[in-house]
Amino acid sequence: MPVVELNLNRIKKLVSGNVTKKKIIDVLPFLGLDIESQDGDEIRIEYSPNRPDYSTDFGIALGLQGLLAVKKGVQKVNIKKTGKYEINVDSSVNKIRPFVTGIVAKNGTIDDQTIKQLMNMQEDLHFGIGRKRKKSSIGLHDLDKILLPLTYTTTTRDKSFIPLNETKEKSISDILSETDVGQNYGWVLGDSKNVPIIIDSEGNTVSFPPIINAALTTVTTKTKNILVEVTSIEKDAAEDMLSVVSSILQMAGFQIFELKISGGKNSTPKLNERNIIYDPKLTSEILGIEMSPSNMVTCLKKCRLDAIIKGKKITCVIPRYRFDIFGPMDLVEEIALGYGIENLEPKLSPSTTIGQKDNVTIKTSVITKTAVGLGLLEVVNSSLTSKKNLYELTKRDSSQMISVLDSKSQEHTILRDSLLSGLLENLSKNIHETYPQKLFETGVIFTKGKPIGESINLAVVMAHKDTNFSEIKAILQSILRTQFKIECKTKSSSESQELFVKGKYADVYVNEKKIGKIGEISNEILDNFRIRTSVVGFEINLSGLIFD
Amino acid sequence: MSQVLHDIEKKIIDSLQKKSDQTPEQLSESTELSIDQIRRGIEWLRLKEFAKVNESSRVTISLGKNGIDSFKNGLPERKLMDLIKDGSKSFEQVRETLSGAGFNAAIANAKKNGWVKIEKTDSGSTISTKEKPVETPEEKLISLIADKSIPEEQIENKLALKFLLQRPDYVIQNTEKSKTISLTEKALQIDTSLSDAGAIDVEADAALVYAARTHPLKDTIDEIREIFVKLGFSEIQGTLTQSSFWNFDALFTPQDHPARELQDTFYIENQKSEKHATPTQIKQVSKSHSQNWHYDWKLSESQKMVLRTHTTCVTIKYLAEQKPDEARIFSLGRVFRNEKVSYKHLVEFNQIEGIVIGNNTTLRDLMGIQKEFYKQLGLTKIKFWPTFFPYTEPSLQTMVYNEKLGKWIELFGMGIFRPEVTKPLGIDKPVLAWGGGIERIAMLKYELNDVREFYNNNLNWLRTV
Repeated sequence: MPVVELNLNRIKKLVSGNVTKKKIIDVLPFLGLDIESQDGDEIRIEYSPNRPDYSTDFGIALGLQGLLAVKKGVQKVNIKKTGKYEINVDSSVNKIRPFVTGIVAKNGTIDDQTIKQLMNMQEDLHFGIGRKRKKSSIGLHDLDKILLPLTYTTTTRDKSFIPLNETKEKSISDILSETDVGQNYGWVLGDSKNVPIIIDSEGNTVSFPPIINAALTTVTTKTKNILVEVTSIEKDAAEDMLSVVSSILQMAGFQIFELKISGGKNSTPKLNERNIIYDPKLTSEILGIEMSPSNMVTCLKKCRLDAIIKGKKITCVIPRYRFDIFGPMDLVEEIALGYGIENLEPKLSPSTTIGQKDNVTIKTSVITKTAVGLGLLEVVNSSLTSKKNLYELTKRDSSQMISVLDSKSQEHTILRDSLLSGLLENLSKNIHETYPQKLFETGVIFTKGKPIGESINLAVVMAHKDTNFSEIKAILQSILRTQFKIECKTKSSSESQELFVKGKYADVYVNEKKIGKIGEISNEILDNFRIRTSVVGFEINLSGLIFD
Repeated sequence: MSQVLHDIEKKIIDSLQKKSDQTPEQLSESTELSIDQIRRGIEWLRLKEFAKVNESSRVTISLGKNGIDSFKNGLPERKLMDLIKDGSKSFEQVRETLSGAGFNAAIANAKKNGWVKIEKTDSGSTISTKEKPVETPEEKLISLIADKSIPEEQIENKLALKFLLQRPDYVIQNTEKSKTISLTEKALQIDTSLSDAGAIDVEADAALVYAARTHPLKDTIDEIREIFVKLGFSEIQGTLTQSSFWNFDALFTPQDHPARELQDTFYIENQKSEKHATPTQIKQVSKSHSQNWHYDWKLSESQKMVLRTHTTCVTIKYLAEQKPDEARIFSLGRVFRNEKVSYKHLVEFNQIEGIVIGNNTTLRDLMGIQKEFYKQLGLTKIKFWPTFFPYTEPSLQTMVYNEKLGKWIELFGMGIFRPEVTKPLGIDKPVLAWGGGIERIAMLKYELNDVREFYNNNLNWLRTV
């Protein structure tokens, strides 16, 4: 979950009205914001990735104003038209990153905290709805350093400019290979010969999207007027991102002006609101509360939406930046938030159905009971394990190995096809505990195929100095005989098994069907696990035996 | 305090009550117990403060090599007197018989005793009896010691002993360490005949034995499963390996969503799912994605096999296949996340998820089920907060107050499946869904701070928790 840092004094000021810090803290969770930590007036907030408008304190203040009834309804983004600001798009971008959009925000003041918030917003937008800059990316520029109109075009990789936070010119190739952002996001551009670039009317580089801005247009605390550009591979995605930024900048005190876009498939963004017709019946159907349509309107307005009753329906007005709202069901949630989740009374309706456990659960628990009755201790191991444990230490055949891709943990890379290796590892880790050690596990094992086979196995190991084949065979037969009345046979196996002592292992059969193996674990394997006592064990398939 | 005595202890007490201060050897003889049994018994009695062990050392005197010879044949000076009792003899004659050092000692002592006179002649010195040689104190002492070992303090004539000690190898001083056992005051009062025969020390510690048992995590899983069943939910099971279609696409997770990336989800190498859904299901899900998320939905992405990241894929598939009008069902089992393992995170953990379809399916009903569920677990202080899940709307999470930690803890999530999820699969009614991770609850129950403990299988913990 993305995180945003807030200062309570600042947010109190942004919310305005007569609101205490405590009230703010109390209400935050009911906006769907989790307080991750608090240190005096500094708080860290986790917000849902579907609400990028909460990536700054401006956006959160906007939400708080609603729930705290300081300001209600849509905060309209008033885009003033002047015709002064323009980007022309060259069709060469079509194959790489076809869309650009933008806006101009003027006459604002920017302090350090605002810069920090806007930077956090950019990061989160890039990571979330920008899909790590692949889908869309954003650049904020000091408008007064730019000679309009701008051109969004492409250039070759030997083009040089001074990138953000540097003092010397660098070629695009060098930026991609030498800088952190280049290394992290260069993949977005693939290996195309030309790359996107935004230049001003003098040919100065403004931005190299989606990688880095030019140093020339850096936004500082002296900046009064900002130009925002968003480039994207989808038009809607570009405007989604722009709508969030516009709303935030307006909340931050800027006046918003139109940036005319022309060329290719591009057009000037309108950031229009949209309407959704809401049937008030849905509120009682979904939330289980009776509420008048006018109360619903109030609730919706508290969530910074607009709503008007028209006949039996409510017309809801959704600002452009609320693209998380798909349809009426999302409005039910808004009504619930406006109503206050804390005001929803839980209601326990009697069940008209009778609950039942799954057959596999029931049968497996019978096996578990018998195993415990025989003095075996239950263990649980991961089904995702390592090649070393599953195959190398046990000298088992790894030709049917099933791997997962790019595991972050070396110990969890292979799906187990047997439980015994896990049990041997358990014994290995407990060599300092008192013996006898008698363990069992029931669990899913995987077999290669199309589709991958999954079945439930039972494995038992017994470790103490006097154990032998007869002891483990007695346990095996007892487990299957108790309750299930299954008689199993052990037949000497022709298959060579390095896991077991030669001449002291067998295949387990029930009605001529092989269901597993049993034996004394060989000294070499015990050595591999650093076990210094005798160990016997078996593993059988329960699937197909006591359930399907 | 009741005192139970072992047979060995009783025999030793009996013997010491008759005769105190016995050595272990003496006790062995008097009780007819082996010396090992005596030693063990003494140790037990000493720990119970019934017996005292007195350690002492004493010096004994016995004859040395020359002493033994003298005991048999007389001291050298006595041998000399025997030689000259019939008249004087020359030194040479005497020296022949009393060879070596014996000669000098014989002459010197006989002279000292005043028994002989020595005359010097031209042909050499002669020796003759001067006085009748009576038995000397040294001779008496040698006869007294004889072949025995006599405590030094029993020898009265200390001077004779001193003289003998000055002469080479006549007597030997031995320092003997000895242990004697005596009873303490309270042991003297014990009447051993009163102790019940065969009684044992019922208060003594016994050896530790460990019960075979089910795994604590399994116990919690079973407990939670029972509560779901009690609330009218029936269990369904599904596979751990799933197509991306059911794990993500059917749940309205766009194909470029970060959760679907390799670093969050385990994809299975070289595995492509086929025939996991009907052509209609695929068509409708594809349409839902394209219309709502505005992108080109790809079949190939949906065919990638993953280790399920939640149990919701099992319930949604069940709903799509069965389309029940009314049902309460749940799915429980392992789910996987490609995370770094830490005290908070596992790559594999257990999740439960229940769904309700039919009548009484409002958010308040869902909250009521939650409240009852936590009540059954003994958690009564709960509240609900809004939250976000990609496939439910509205969505809530339960916060449970933990008295021990003194804070609110996030437990199960819940919500109503989005129409964008249910409609494409032909499900018309609202579906309530709720569930969450089981390890979190088990951690509270067993007061663990590290979730990995459940999978460590540390026998010390499993046997004692």
